[in-house]
Amino acid sequence: MLRYALRRLIWLPIILFGVSAVVFVMLRVLPGQSPAEIIAGQGATPEQIEALEEQLGLNEPIWDQYRVWVTDLLRGDFGEEFYSQKSIKDEFIRRFPPSFQIVMMSLVIGTVLGIGFGVISAIFRNRSPDYVVRFGAVAFSSIPEFFMLTLLIVVPAYLWQYSQPVGGYVPFYEDPWTNMRLMLPPAIILGIAGSAGLMRLTRTTMLEVLQSDYVRTAKAKGLRQQTVLFSHALRNAGTPIVTAVGTAFIAVFGGSIIVEQVLSIQGLGQWFFFASLQRDLTVVQFLVVYSAFVVVVMNLIVDLSYGYIDPRVRYS
Amino acid sequence: MATIAREQAIVHEQESWELPAEKPFIVRAMKPWLRNPAGFIGLIIAVGFIVLGIIGPWIAPYDPRELDAQARFEGISWAHPMGTTALGQDMFSRILYGARLSLIFGIVVMIFGFVPGTALGIASGYFGRWIDHAIQRSGEAWAAFPQLIILLTIIAAVGPGLKSVAVVIAIGGLFGGSRLLRAVSLVEKHKDYVLAARAVGATEWDIVRRYIVPNVMPYVLVGISSVFAVAIIAEATLSFLGLGAQPGTPGWGIDLSEGSNEGITYPMLVIWPGLAISIVVLGFNLLGDTLRDILDPRLRGSMGDKH
Repeated sequence: MLRYALRRLIWLPIILFGVSAVVFVMLRVLPGQSPAEIIAGQGATPEQIEALEEQLGLNEPIWDQYRVWVTDLLRGDFGEEFYSQKSIKDEFIRRFPPSFQIVMMSLVIGTVLGIGFGVISAIFRNRSPDYVVRFGAVAFSSIPEFFMLTLLIVVPAYLWQYSQPVGGYVPFYEDPWTNMRLMLPPAIILGIAGSAGLMRLTRTTMLEVLQSDYVRTAKAKGLRQQTVLFSHALRNAGTPIVTAVGTAFIAVFGGSIIVEQVLSIQGLGQWFFFASLQRDLTVVQFLVVYSAFVVVVMNLIVDLSYGYIDPRVRYS
Repeated sequence: MATIAREQAIVHEQESWELPAEKPFIVRAMKPWLRNPAGFIGLIIAVGFIVLGIIGPWIAPYDPRELDAQARFEGISWAHPMGTTALGQDMFSRILYGARLSLIFGIVVMIFGFVPGTALGIASGYFGRWIDHAIQRSGEAWAAFPQLIILLTIIAAVGPGLKSVAVVIAIGGLFGGSRLLRAVSLVEKHKDYVLAARAVGATEWDIVRRYIVPNVMPYVLVGISSVFAVAIIAEATLSFLGLGAQPGTPGWGIDLSEGSNEGITYPMLVIWPGLAISIVVLGFNLLGDTLRDILDPRLRGSMGDKH
């Protein structure tokens, strides 16, 4: 398993190199307004734009630009924002905590809800709890996240004069109450939205497992229902479920951009959003490489957890 | 040869049988739907959406862009069935025109993404080998990233607008369609009728065209349902974020975003467009799930079926 993990880790830099090259070239080759034009603003003379491009290094041959960028990255120098000249590293450190918190909380909530309701649905197969859960899953995957988040702001304010806080992130260890008031409601919304697929998969896998011989044996020898359910059935349904948790993570990761945008939380998603509108190429390419890193590591964790859940899995 | 001869004998024998009177086609066609009320509701919503998307502009009582300073923030009335917006525009007319925008977007994604994806999927399922590998690996790489991140990257390169959104969602539809059709063509490929066709000397192209394609067609409907659901949510989300349709365009995402400015005092400005999106997407989801259940009992486990 260690050897497998190491071999997978060797792929990590290769994938990141590939992603960085594709994004770098795409951002510069595809037709679109030059970032210098946007920064210089309307009515700027061609000379001013030219000077800005020179200053941003956009006139160099694309290969040289890429080489400089990658060697700087490897040295730990992430560059500066086009606009504010702020250090990308500092900005990343400032914006990372809220994004990390929202993604992790949503993932935990989504996983608990998805697996929990999936198991309930499987146990009560074709009885009312099953129908309610299944209808809920379809309904919640049909309501767009941005609509639920807007309702979160609008409905309590209209009905109860309670306003959902917006912006102003405070770390949990400094002020847990303020932090949770801001982060918990959107995390629940994002978690519910991400849990529908997980719930369906848990249900189908559990239905299969519950019909298997070893579950019947476990029941027959008089084990308690919880023991049968959680240590026999759920454990054997674990591998596909973990895969679905990985998929839910991708959904939540993307959804966090919408949350940060609607609730004006100064996280990485909001940064990405504004950077791409302003064509701040250094920020966009940095964040894409960062996202690729997160996605690859997450997949690695999912793959490695197969062996932990099901010792029969052999890595090769 | 022996089995074919036996089948022919059976067919021959059957000709003399008295067949039970067949129920009219419409009754037979309705039967699976009546057993699946959820799917039936989905079908009605989907058909209703398509019809409104086509005829909406003719039945809309007002011009959706027409401003009326005298009639801002009006509630529900006979003159304005859904009230009016902050600019005094008729909400009902805007919702009807918004259905057209969503419908057009869905159709564009279907034609440029899902349809070629279907062809690729059949090719990749039936012929396999390198084409299969190439398509499936690219599809996996694509699905590994959140679509919103891909979209923001494309927007950083070419600028915002419905066109950029359509390109990304269409590529998603291409991979989604190819994965679905690959899976079902793989199953069909090993069935006896393909073997029989090959035995009587049909070329590979003939088999694909005359046997595989008609047999996987029903699954295309499943795919189209989910493509519409995804496309409608995507267009609304991106327009809401200000990356899709131009402000002022009658569209559900735009209306919701403009309504949210006044939403705390007039929540209905947010709720009408939000409901429109949710109901239509729910309709397509229910329809797709039910079609899948009817077509393939092994895939059962979603809405409205009895095991």
